[in-house]
Amino acid sequence: MAEETVLSPDIEFIRELRQAGGETLKKCYQCATCSVVCPMSPEDKPFPRKEMIMGQLGLKDEIMADPDIWYCHNCNDCSKYCPRGARPGDVLGAMRQRFIKEYAIPKFMGSIVTNTKMTLFALAIPLVIFLVVLGLTGHLHIPEGKIVYSHFFPILYVEAIFITLVGLTGLSYLISLNKYWKTLKRVNGTDYKMGFGDAFVETILEFLSHKKFTKCEANADRKNGHLLVFYGFVGLFIVTCWLTFYDYIMGIESPIALSDPMKWLANLSALSLLVGIMIIIANRLKDKGINTKSSSFDWTFVTIILLLTITGILTELIRVAGVRTLAYPMYLIHLMFVFYTIVYFPYSKLAHMGYRALAITHYKMTGKDIK
Amino acid sequence: MAIAPDKTVLVVGGGISGLTATVETAEAGTKVVLVEKNPYLGGRVAQLYRYFPKLCPPYCGLEINFRRIKQNPAITFYTLAEVDNISGSAGNFSVTIKQKPRYVNEKCTACGECVEACPVERPNEFNFGMDNTKAIYLPHELAFPMRYVIDDSYCKGKECAKCVEACKYGAIDLDMKEKTFEVNVEAIIFATGWNPYDATKMDNLGFGKVRNVITNMMMERLAAPNGPTKGKIVRPSDGKEVQKIAFVQCAGSRDENHLNYCSAICCMASLKQATYIREQNPDAEVTIFYIDLRAPGKYEDFYRKVEADEKIKMIKGKVAKIEEDPSTGDPVVTVEDVANLKKIVESFDMVVLATGMEPQTRRNKLPGNVEYEENGFLKVDQPDGVFATGVATRPLDVNTSNQDATAKAIKCIQTLVGGK
Repeated sequence: MAEETVLSPDIEFIRELRQAGGETLKKCYQCATCSVVCPMSPEDKPFPRKEMIMGQLGLKDEIMADPDIWYCHNCNDCSKYCPRGARPGDVLGAMRQRFIKEYAIPKFMGSIVTNTKMTLFALAIPLVIFLVVLGLTGHLHIPEGKIVYSHFFPILYVEAIFITLVGLTGLSYLISLNKYWKTLKRVNGTDYKMGFGDAFVETILEFLSHKKFTKCEANADRKNGHLLVFYGFVGLFIVTCWLTFYDYIMGIESPIALSDPMKWLANLSALSLLVGIMIIIANRLKDKGINTKSSSFDWTFVTIILLLTITGILTELIRVAGVRTLAYPMYLIHLMFVFYTIVYFPYSKLAHMGYRALAITHYKMTGKDIK
Repeated sequence: MAIAPDKTVLVVGGGISGLTATVETAEAGTKVVLVEKNPYLGGRVAQLYRYFPKLCPPYCGLEINFRRIKQNPAITFYTLAEVDNISGSAGNFSVTIKQKPRYVNEKCTACGECVEACPVERPNEFNFGMDNTKAIYLPHELAFPMRYVIDDSYCKGKECAKCVEACKYGAIDLDMKEKTFEVNVEAIIFATGWNPYDATKMDNLGFGKVRNVITNMMMERLAAPNGPTKGKIVRPSDGKEVQKIAFVQCAGSRDENHLNYCSAICCMASLKQATYIREQNPDAEVTIFYIDLRAPGKYEDFYRKVEADEKIKMIKGKVAKIEEDPSTGDPVVTVEDVANLKKIVESFDMVVLATGMEPQTRRNKLPGNVEYEENGFLKVDQPDGVFATGVATRPLDVNTSNQDATAKAIKCIQTLVGGK
């Protein structure tokens, strides 16, 4: 007899996966077509066939320690060729959602952000914080004169709120990432063929070129959308840092002039984000769920990015148009979406960035990465 | 004593199910009209090398049926014929039959002089295009009726007529025309059978692009002594003897993108074909890649026998990619070995796709009032006076088809004599 293996199925976990968009999980009959057609799947311990049986059996601990769910790029070649309509691509998506919740610190933040029924509540939190701060400091009115957002919501307050909270959640994210890194070492082994530094740099360079995405066939258009959104965020990150530099070092207050190259970058990034997210939405609608059946978690996230972008653009346009009564409320709404995007980063779909970066880095270090 | 000597049953399809339905009904004492669209009777079974359960050549079983047909004056059969229209209802169907011209009459002795004279070739569909015949040809060595036929889509007609000159018996008539005629019948049995699923539809399995990927029905023809290679199992690209072969199970079956059901026979067919190779070549290595190997009932014994052969490996995992190695012409298969959690990327001399059974009626709907189930098979419950049998109703092996056809013959006779 082979050595004894004890499995501890978690029935509740199966239910959660199925509710999170993996309702087709039980259709899988383990033919392993998916592991072969997947352009990312490695030679040794290929996925996602094994994830499907682990999911069916409710092996939560194994899935929460599985590096492969993050190596998956959601191309959905697996779902296209699946003979049973078991949609491994969607099931792995549900597993990643569950993973984010599981690794979240504090736990309740993961529960709030990954639960789509709580989305309005999650958005209400920053709004209440903003209103309380504005109310207490006597800023809860529309200022007269030229529209300058810091006259309404002093930049110092914004920074105090955001830097504190992003600092806290960022720290929690680092702890989560560290936990995942330990898991990777335990599951994948530490027989390294490459150092962390080299592997990490290679991973980041791949992110910049979206090299792995080009392997996707069934969902090839998604690469462009994802690339535009990615660079949109990169651009806006640079602008944000630069504006802080302007403000504190150069003494230039926002809004900066339309002629400033940083403004060009900001506008270009916003446009990139808008076009990118529209491509992603259009693809999902065009697809009508044939290859990808987007979960409500996915749709919520996509919608928030879309609203973030639109409110951002409107905030600028209304300011330029000089409609004070609309501009300040719009700014407040925009800040609410900004808060969701960056403060909730470790608990929303954006958390994939760090987990995926670590998964690929570790794959590279152990020589498992596909070329 | 004949049960209903003045009543007639129409049987559509002259494969193993239709033949059985025909002789069983006629021998109980009714008239039978059998309509077959090919120029010969015997259907898919005639194309096999050997068949279950006893692994005899198909003519073991077919010849007995042909003899029963020849002896029985109550049976009339038409080849090259199809049912064009059906009107009326149980007890009084009026059926229009269209028969294509054979261009060869009953004087033919199958001497083959015409073939020598004929200058035109056509792909031999009996051998799945793996060789050619002349435009005038005998469908296969043991064809019944044993009579030549002309493929008029290739024949140059009267301007050539070299075969007419060559025939000493005056058996060739290039003036033959399509005939349409009516028959009146009391009941109808559909035994319209199946086609091998079109393997080119599985774009990841390379059929039609990778030269040494064939289907299981092609394998039957390669192994058959009356096949394109006279029974030598060699690969199509270069005629090389096959030393290392893979079978890909569920090629299209159990797949909602292709055939959303188990074709029931492919596992046993591959196990059987593995023995073809092993008997012919004692050093040959066989690998069968499967999702689940299904050897129902008594077939378990055969499965155990094949499993005991150490040169036959069975690996759980569905092949989902086949590419050609351009330097050798070898097909390279990729599969996950599920039990060992590893991908296998391996070259073989030849790969056989265990393609499934697609009911004839999936793409070609029948005339008259007939009911279909979701995959295009005929429903077992049909309107009064109409019966369906064999693979027309579901994937079956030969044995079960015969049992089913006999059962449907009884059902049919019951309605003829006023029973329910």
